Amino acid sequence: MNSTDRIMATLTGKPLDRRAVAPVLSLYGARLTGCPLDQYYTDPAAYARGQSAVRETFRPDVLCAPLAFASIGAAFGSELVFIDTDVPNIRRPAVQTVEDWNLLVPPDPDTDPRLLYFRESIRLMAAEHRDQVPISMVIPIPADIPGLVMGLEAWLETVLFDPAGAQLVMEKVIPFYVQLVNGFFAAGAKFVAMPCGFASPTIVTRDIVSTFTRPILDRVLSQLHGPVILHNVGAPLLAHLDLLTGLPSVVGVIMDQRDDLARARLVVGPDIVLFGGLDCSTISQMTVSDVENRCRAILEERRQDPRFVLGTSGPDVVWNTPPENIHAMLKTAESIGSVGV
Amino acid sequence: MTIQQSLIEKIRLADRQGANALLDAWATEHGYERLISDVLDPTLLLIGEKWCASGAMTLAQVYIAAKVTEDVLNKIISMRINPSESHPPKGPVVIGNIEEDFHALGRRMVGTFLRAEGWIVHDLGNDVPATVFVDKALEVGARVIGVSAMIMTTALNIKMVRQEIDSRGLTGRIQLAVGGAVFCVSPGLVGEVGGDGTAANALAVPDLFNRLWRQSVEKEAGA
Repeated sequence: MNSTDRIMATLTGKPLDRRAVAPVLSLYGARLTGCPLDQYYTDPAAYARGQSAVRETFRPDVLCAPLAFASIGAAFGSELVFIDTDVPNIRRPAVQTVEDWNLLVPPDPDTDPRLLYFRESIRLMAAEHRDQVPISMVIPIPADIPGLVMGLEAWLETVLFDPAGAQLVMEKVIPFYVQLVNGFFAAGAKFVAMPCGFASPTIVTRDIVSTFTRPILDRVLSQLHGPVILHNVGAPLLAHLDLLTGLPSVVGVIMDQRDDLARARLVVGPDIVLFGGLDCSTISQMTVSDVENRCRAILEERRQDPRFVLGTSGPDVVWNTPPENIHAMLKTAESIGSVGV
Repeated sequence: MTIQQSLIEKIRLADRQGANALLDAWATEHGYERLISDVLDPTLLLIGEKWCASGAMTLAQVYIAAKVTEDVLNKIISMRINPSESHPPKGPVVIGNIEEDFHALGRRMVGTFLRAEGWIVHDLGNDVPATVFVDKALEVGARVIGVSAMIMTTALNIKMVRQEIDSRGLTGRIQLAVGGAVFCVSPGLVGEVGGDGTAANALAVPDLFNRLWRQSVEKEAGA
């Protein structure tokens, strides 16, 4: 089986030669190629070279398109700052208030160079790897996009104290978002992973998820041209998982390393793919033996689950992670061997 | 139901307006001078101890608590009530996000809760170099510096604050509080960056600063 076969078999619950392994190694490609991050996150060819190096070095079953949320904010006018060993960040948001949104024209995903960077990276990666390794794009859910444009505090304040204003903002964001994500699918993304900040139990209440985030997700996901995987955004998701079941286009959920995977399986039912594994920050501090033991424990616990992928939780495997630790994930899956045969 | 329990319920429901109405009604009867010490402080303490510790409180609810606290502080200032009448004043402290970190929300909430406790807060903002933290602490006489970082890469920059404190011979005299989302998933990180302590959430920070301030005084007395 190649990686595409393995992921497709996981999606359909068919036997596997081994468990699929999908750590998020978007940033790590720059470390492997020695590419400065201001180039890596603006030059699609540089990014694609980094992901070729990731594939050659670690043989993951999924390759990630650029995980650089701040660049989406930059396309709206937020000021970007590049960091030596991490993803770009937002120095200054584009706008401050809901009123500012009235004058704001969302960028055009078909012409804005900061957004075309994502699409072109996907196109280059798909051209090189499509038949062998699926490409995943990672983009926050629509309700998180305004936080990249006006800052989390101003957006949280709007959602909490000005629900009508928040809806007006989303009316601008939603068409932009649908066009952007469908562009990713058209360029060759096999699926899109969506970190769910405004659905996370650590960030918002169940009431906000039910009355604000979920209706937006229902509306947006039904317009997308490809499958979606919900992502834990680096915090436990289980307490709100029941509020996210039955959404259109959703084929999988990436759980946090602190979530109980057996309970998550009960909540999502048998047909959804569960991803679980190690935290992408703390994997850097583990020994190879720690990684192997933790991965083995997870894989043993999920042995009877045909729709499970070993991955990482949190945003992106951090820069200073020893390569041996990433190798250990795949080696452990290989040592356990076939699934459902 | 006590006033504290009622206030917690309003915060839990993200009802800022209801919380303010509740506090105004209480203050009309008992006086705004006592609002912080008798109602707000015990409530925030209760939330921090019982609710946040169980992980059942969301960022949105902590944010509501911070906004209600801000509302109370603003009212007291606008009524020209001397804050020391409502709460004993504490010393100066310095807070900020470490160099290359731009996640301001947690730090701003920390500032609000510290002010409510009577601390004189010098908030240096985002992307603050290590030298600036220590320079400011010396300038204002702060015994505690609080440094925030959200992600692993920027959290590691806090080591430079530790080095700056130590290289100037201020070890123990200036205590280093560290915090941010990444410290919750990586408990060993506090020691790795040289922190003297951390808190699970913004509401728990005043307690941490009380402890670190005491440690600083004891260190100096014992020196």
